[in-house]
Amino acid sequence: MELKEAMEAATADLDVRPGFVGDVMAGGRRRHTRKLLSVTAAIALVAGVITGVVLTRHPSDPLLTHDERLTAATSGDLASSRTDIEQALRVWQSTQKAPDRITDFSAPAHVFWAGRTPSGPAVLIVQPVRVASTPTPMTLVGLVATNEVVDRELLLDGERERGIYRFGADQSTNVVLTLRRTVYWSQQPVRGEDGRLSRKWWALETGGTGVAVVSTPQENKPVFVRSDTQPADDDFLQEPLMAKQDYGPEGAFKPHTGLGWNDSVWASDKQDEHPQTKSMFSLRDMQRAGVLDYLVADGAFGQWQVRAWLPDGRFASVFEANGETYAAIYRANGTFSQGVAGSRTSKGARLPARVRLPDDLGTVVADFGFRIGPDRRPDAWIAPAGTTSVAVGLADGDSVQVPI
Amino acid sequence: MQDFEDFVALRSQALLRTAYLLCGGDKGAAEDILQDVLMSMYGKWRRIRTSPEAYARTALANAAANRWRRRSRKPEAPLELGAVPTSRGHEQQVVDADSVVRALGQLPRKMRAVLVLRFFDDLSEAETARTLGCGIGTVKSQTSRGLARMRELMGEQVLTWN
Repeated sequence: MELKEAMEAATADLDVRPGFVGDVMAGGRRRHTRKLLSVTAAIALVAGVITGVVLTRHPSDPLLTHDERLTAATSGDLASSRTDIEQALRVWQSTQKAPDRITDFSAPAHVFWAGRTPSGPAVLIVQPVRVASTPTPMTLVGLVATNEVVDRELLLDGERERGIYRFGADQSTNVVLTLRRTVYWSQQPVRGEDGRLSRKWWALETGGTGVAVVSTPQENKPVFVRSDTQPADDDFLQEPLMAKQDYGPEGAFKPHTGLGWNDSVWASDKQDEHPQTKSMFSLRDMQRAGVLDYLVADGAFGQWQVRAWLPDGRFASVFEANGETYAAIYRANGTFSQGVAGSRTSKGARLPARVRLPDDLGTVVADFGFRIGPDRRPDAWIAPAGTTSVAVGLADGDSVQVPI
Repeated sequence: MQDFEDFVALRSQALLRTAYLLCGGDKGAAEDILQDVLMSMYGKWRRIRTSPEAYARTALANAAANRWRRRSRKPEAPLELGAVPTSRGHEQQVVDADSVVRALGQLPRKMRAVLVLRFFDDLSEAETARTLGCGIGTVKSQTSRGLARMRELMGEQVLTWN
């Protein structure tokens, strides 16, 4: 019996008790409320000791947080422009009618940076607020530009501030906060003849304000990282900063916006499942090899995979990332052998995923839902080296020849 | 919080199975830590930026590890050793299944967690490393040693993974 089979057999009859979901929801609500009450009580106690007075919370208590930007002088080349600042504050206040969770906007908002950008004036604003789930004031920070709130973050305990805002035509203007560290940025990765990528990095200059403006179109593939040291040209393992647009849609289980496939299929007749095959797919391996670039957005990575044992005994995992197709190739013992970049993915085209394998091993072609090649394999096939066109057909219809 | 409730309804059974193996076959403990993990996710749901299931797995592994520490490294509610049937069939499969849980219960917590995540939840080495907060090298070595230890513990009921 295989280990996985044995584990599955051992757990096959297990299920949660009736009412489990309701217990979790009720318990979660109770715990959350209790936590908030205890935090409030602790703060009240500390404040009472310090001030020597008995503190009784009242809706009119001033909203304050410890964010030093609330009292900092406004910086930036538009710091003295009352018109731009007042206009931005008007926009900021006008969008505070019914934002989710925030219940109290009564404290004044403060502009801590105002500057010119290629997309017009931009203003960074910070404001203490109260939210529905807790009486403890929280800091709201955001950016107003092009007469709208580009993004705002509610800074929750223990959560890192994103500190990057992207807006303007083609989403080409970036306002980046260094947050007491150094932000390095890079664009236009270059792929060498050996298939490996490299990136040049520069430290952002903020002129002492802690805020930098970078203008570059998204097709230049800009990447920003907060780091204490400058990344090397072949380092693709840093954690990139993600702007609001880079996060996936709210909620789990949303379909991927790339090719939209979400299955794992085989392109070879040999379909052995042994432990190594489970580790034979790692984005980090591909990034460490310099073949795969940074994956900045949540949606940068597809949710499908084509697996194949190759004629030379190696194993290939083909996947979609950054709108391109890749193959990660592993030796039979599970160690990474090499990575290869393939075609750009083009939703709606026939055979939208193709990767030419090294050493004349052929080309992996995939088109989920279609029959491919002379044997009408479902979804994926390894076209032998030298193949110039591949037959693609519906399961019960005619086929078309697609050049590769 | 409808999406959180959907997540609990849809994924609790799969997560309970992982928790059961992480707890070395103690169903009561598995249900306790799963409920505890899900309840703590309630207040953090909007702030969880990774996959909720990955977050839950990490929390389960941590919760199982903490429970192990609290119990002073005693094996967790080991299953009673039954007589081994002489003929193979459904009964043999049951014995194999119980034996694997019993053997898992005797492994160190990290080794057990690595085997459960790698072979039951089908995580890659990198994903397992990320879930457990350790290096890929550690995952590799714990996998190798864990499999060898499982062979020793299983005795004649040799498991295969090839």
